[in-house]
Amino acid sequence: MLELRLAWRNVWRNRRRTGLTVAATVFAVTLVVVFVAMAAGLHEKMIEDAVRLQSGHVAAAGRGYFEERTLDQFLELDQELFDELDGAPGVLGWAPRVISFGLLSKDTDARGVGVLGVDPERESSVTTLAGRLKRGDFVSAEASRGIVLGERLADNLDADLGDVLLLFSQSYSLETAYDLFTVVGVIKFPDITMDRSVAVISLADAQAFFAYEGRASEVAVLAKDADHAAAVAASLRTAIDGDAQVDVRTWDKLMPDLVQFIFIDDAGMYIMLVILVVVVGFGILNTILMSVLERTRELGVLLALGLRPGAVFRLVYVESLLLAGVGLLIGLAIGIPIVLYLQANPIPLGGDLAQATELFGMDPVMTWKLKPMNPIGSCITILGVAALAAFYPALKAARGRPVDALRSV
Amino acid sequence: MKDLQRRLREDGVFVRAVLLAFERDAFLRRIAWRNVWRNGRRTVVVVIAIAVGIAGTVLSMAINFGMVVQMVETAIATDLGHLQIHARGYEDDPGLARRLDDGGRMGIAALDVAENVTAWAPRVRSDGLLTSPRASAGVSVLAIDPEREARITVLADSVTQGAYLDGEKRRILIGEALAERLRVRLGSKVVLSATDVRGDLAGEAFRVRGLFRTPSSELNRSTVYLQLEEAQRLFAMGDAISELAVRTADRDRVVGLQRHLVEELGEGVEVRNWEQLAPLLVYFVDMFDQMAWIVYAAVFIAMAFGIANVMLMSVFERTREIGVITSIGMSGPRVVAMVTWESLFLVGVGLVAGFVLSATGLFLLRDGIDLSRWGEGLNSMGVPSTIVPVVRTKDLVAPTVVAAVTGILAGLWPAVRASRARPAEALRHV
Repeated sequence: MLELRLAWRNVWRNRRRTGLTVAATVFAVTLVVVFVAMAAGLHEKMIEDAVRLQSGHVAAAGRGYFEERTLDQFLELDQELFDELDGAPGVLGWAPRVISFGLLSKDTDARGVGVLGVDPERESSVTTLAGRLKRGDFVSAEASRGIVLGERLADNLDADLGDVLLLFSQSYSLETAYDLFTVVGVIKFPDITMDRSVAVISLADAQAFFAYEGRASEVAVLAKDADHAAAVAASLRTAIDGDAQVDVRTWDKLMPDLVQFIFIDDAGMYIMLVILVVVVGFGILNTILMSVLERTRELGVLLALGLRPGAVFRLVYVESLLLAGVGLLIGLAIGIPIVLYLQANPIPLGGDLAQATELFGMDPVMTWKLKPMNPIGSCITILGVAALAAFYPALKAARGRPVDALRSV
Repeated sequence: MKDLQRRLREDGVFVRAVLLAFERDAFLRRIAWRNVWRNGRRTVVVVIAIAVGIAGTVLSMAINFGMVVQMVETAIATDLGHLQIHARGYEDDPGLARRLDDGGRMGIAALDVAENVTAWAPRVRSDGLLTSPRASAGVSVLAIDPEREARITVLADSVTQGAYLDGEKRRILIGEALAERLRVRLGSKVVLSATDVRGDLAGEAFRVRGLFRTPSSELNRSTVYLQLEEAQRLFAMGDAISELAVRTADRDRVVGLQRHLVEELGEGVEVRNWEQLAPLLVYFVDMFDQMAWIVYAAVFIAMAFGIANVMLMSVFERTREIGVITSIGMSGPRVVAMVTWESLFLVGVGLVAGFVLSATGLFLLRDGIDLSRWGEGLNSMGVPSTIVPVVRTKDLVAPTVVAAVTGILAGLWPAVRASRARPAEALRHV
């Protein structure tokens, strides 16, 4: 306790120097908190967007589907499966889909498309597809030969509501499948590739078209959030009770590209923050080193009076941690409110940046997310750096021989 | 008011005197250099901090920019070329309806005599459905003249199994990823269905001639290559083509060539350069640049605190000494000039150390950073998985200038304070 009081007073003996070092620490901590929260918000949004747009947090499909993605691997949609899905704890919603490919043409124009057959009611319990409708209606529950196009796909085909398109593909029984569909809606996918190449029809239509009665390609499952995906997947695996015909995957296994992108993006950011923290760390080192060197005589007196070298070492250490701690607290006090404000009021992006975000299949909004690990990590990092920086000066102070020290000016 | 004017005038005189001393007085420079090394330990700590900051920013910039360069190069070398010529209206509504009915002859004639053109290749682009006995997939069809295409894109070198198209009839190249999805191998038969220019459904069987893998996962997943004549027959489009892709000797002069071609070819065609063909790529490059400035700003502000601190310390601990030299006749402006030289030397040594560190880092990374473990995430952005850092002059000049300015500004406050101290008081200071 005495050391703490002594250290606190020592820290403020040279106010200007301490002030500048604290300012540098505050600056770094604020940046770290804001940047980490920005990346966390961005990544969480990317995951949520992808999950709520296509994959679900967890997906169940016929064995082999996730590798092959053809009509050959399917799930039997029977009461047993429904009961299992409804019974699994943590499952907030589930939606069966039929997924395949086709060639969609209008007059002389044709586009290769991904065909997504959905049950509109169930689908809205998992994804936000229907909410992204630009005009017209979403597909209806029963077989009605209505089709909903991505906005760019509709533009490219020059198709609008009411137009009749020819869908051509191959059915499960390997026969040629073709039928006429009427455009009932146009949807805006945030992902450009999807916007250009996805057509949605009703599950019933898809099952009839692909000769897939009573079957689905996959069932997408919604969990509370991405962090609960693994738990839900586990409970689902228990519910299906080792059914060898069903494969259950979590979002990170369904979208490895996304996981890798996040990793690379994080790596880039942390490298920058490490550089920043190292630069600040040298500032702390310099301040503590200077304060020790200019007190050589004083510390010598303390040692001569019988203070143990260990206590001197601790004293210098506590000074360094206090110095960093003050900066840390102020930095957190500035950074956290900023992030909380931004978290509550996301910044909409305009112009070029908006278009750039579309490359990643995201809505043009910048979101922040303060995870508990963010301030905790900042504390550990800054105090850790302060501890490292204090080591040499503290050693120097404790090792001084009182006789030499007293002789120095 | 009068007072203010007088003060301003005095300040102007002071500043001019500082600049004069700063520029002319070699003696000050010598003193300053010695002062920097009076407390060697402190100077070394700051120099290391500056060096780490500089090397960190230079290296991360070089890696980032290397990534961007490779993204651009990949897009150009796998698909875009430097310029493309289409029929009018293609940009808004790409499709078989917009085609160059003369087979591109007008464009070719212009390209053959234009400067800076190294190669051109005719292409037909459309969409189709590729069906194997096991599955089907929507694909982009790109029909090419194999020989000419090889001089525009790296497709010929990207073939990993089998062989490139060579005129043999009814052969198709598909990406490895697509082959896996359709479960086909070399020699397998696949059926390509598409609508022709009249809107009729057309289909034809092809054998897989080769599999390719490019750094762009989109191409690998969803593009197939045919021979030009076969696509023209399939789509019933005579000898019309969709586009002419052009490669130039000098990418920086593409815009000039573009302007020339627009004049030559008139209103009937659209000529777009790679930046216009891939606007997202350009946004991406811009975004990287903006990020770069944020990184610079953050690191340099942190460095400025360190420099300011050291300069403050070194000036204040010399209060008495500065008092002595002013009382024996050194003028205030000369004190400011001396301290400014000190901070410049400090930053200068830091910069040199930083550049040495950067050069070492770049030397170690000269073969590129292998990120193949995370290759798919990069490939989906169109970046190859080995990143070679690229240093721009700008990325070296910017930190130098910013560090120098930071150093001068950080040193100015203590310098001015030192020069204003009254000798009598300063001498009493211990």
